[in-house]
Amino acid sequence: MIGVGKMKQYTNVLDRPLSKGKQEVSLSAFAFLFSELVQYNQTQVDNIAELERRLEDAGYAVGARVLELLCHREKGNRRETRLLGILSFVHSTVWKVLFGKVADSLEKGTEHEDEYMISEKELLVNRFISIPKDMGTFNCGAFVAGIVRGVLDNAGFPAVVTAHFVPVEGQQRPRTTILIKFAEEVLRREARLG
Amino acid sequence: MPPVAPRSGDAIFASVERVNAELFTLTYGAIVRQLLTDLEEVEEVNKQLDQMGYNIGIRLIDEFLAKSNVSRCVDFKETAEVIAKVGFKMFLGVTATVTNWDAEGTTCSLVLEDNPLVDFVELPDTCQGLYYCNVLSGVIRGALEMVSSYLNGRLGLSVDNLVSMKTEVTWIRDMLRGDDAFEMQVKLVKQVPEEYPYKDDE
Amino acid sequence: MANTACFMIVSKNDIPIYEAEVGAAPRKEDAAHQHQFILHAALDIVQDLAWTTSAMFLKGIDRFNDLVVSVYVTAGHTRLMLLHDSRNDDGIKSFFQEVHELYIKTLLNPLYLPGSRITSSHFDTKVRALARKYL
Repeated sequence: MIGVGKMKQYTNVLDRPLSKGKQEVSLSAFAFLFSELVQYNQTQVDNIAELERRLEDAGYAVGARVLELLCHREKGNRRETRLLGILSFVHSTVWKVLFGKVADSLEKGTEHEDEYMISEKELLVNRFISIPKDMGTFNCGAFVAGIVRGVLDNAGFPAVVTAHFVPVEGQQRPRTTILIKFAEEVLRREARLG
Repeated sequence: MPPVAPRSGDAIFASVERVNAELFTLTYGAIVRQLLTDLEEVEEVNKQLDQMGYNIGIRLIDEFLAKSNVSRCVDFKETAEVIAKVGFKMFLGVTATVTNWDAEGTTCSLVLEDNPLVDFVELPDTCQGLYYCNVLSGVIRGALEMVSSYLNGRLGLSVDNLVSMKTEVTWIRDMLRGDDAFEMQVKLVKQVPEEYPYKDDE
Repeated sequence: MANTACFMIVSKNDIPIYEAEVGAAPRKEDAAHQHQFILHAALDIVQDLAWTTSAMFLKGIDRFNDLVVSVYVTAGHTRLMLLHDSRNDDGIKSFFQEVHELYIKTLLNPLYLPGSRITSSHFDTKVRALARKYL
């Protein structure tokens, strides 16, 4: 039975217009889904490192798509060619669309030239999952680290990206830092471009 | 005290914290991809998606009941309506319609035209048997199974009125297979009078 | 309409994932292979150029006899490449932009593996229609 819905029937996905990104679902719907993603992956691994790697891989493919979609829709088809440009794209555009806000901070590492950190007081995926003590340093933010790596790698800025809990003085819960370590080729190209 | 009016799906959705549906859609896509890689057999993926949905369904019922103030659903018909109008809306931001009731009122269809699980999904030839949205059938099944037992507990119904709604959910229409909507048939399989062994301790 | 036009989509890893002869001239097997070879040979130039601008459309980046190579580099470094004899830059740009959108939609399919061949016949039909319209 054809209902009274407003959505037109398209013969093929390629005929359907790209979404404007305004549709929403409840946070809890996402939380339930994400929780199943984590729990499923727990059954597939023997240790925390493997669990994080699987979540990162799951996020990577999301990042590849997010890069293309958002550059087109939000940045008027502007392709980032500089390091600070792509970092700003991640910290502002990607974060705003996926998490509803720009990231709390973007900092350059003080000890290493090739390191940058995007930090969030309460990363969305860490808000509703409490890590049991026997899981040590496991961070669900690995999924987000994967998304970031997917964006950076496909944009031509390969990097190792990991998620870490960082205790903050005066705060009960630690903040989450996404640590980005760029490959050498990226820094060489940056130097060359001047 | 007069009974509190049940809140509309729109009102609840407006009052809860929300996220961009794209995050949801992309994450679900990542889950399906992982399952296809790990399990290879499409039928296994369908089963796993249904199980995940079931796990979600039995957990979300708490929030559903707490936020929607629905009075005791007197029968399956009312329950289905509430799930379609309030349940879907408060979690997915879209409403479903309930149709095709059979004469006994134990089978109906839930029809969805707008589905945030799906965006630009096209089933490749290797995945023709995949029920991409199968998580939904599990959610419906899990939620319905829990509806009655929670209501029974909270409202202190007499032992004669306790029921559990076990259902079978099957896909009738699938937009990814060229249909014009997503349609799940929900069939009550048994109304099981619930065991309430601790009643005498209260 | 362009007499000769060979269109190719090359993945970030330099692998062709789609190609089509979209010119008005009758198709010739050898010509098609030669066209793809020319486009592939231009990849190095494209790679260097891509880092000098944030624009996606790079027109006339290489020549071969009376044929010109124009390229459109997406955010993810997928290259839309066109070997053509026409000088209709505006038409070419529009063609690239519309195919770009088709590519994004293809990529958004969670069951499509990025970097793999685009096999959808609907995609092919639409690309050819866009070529007739703009080139």
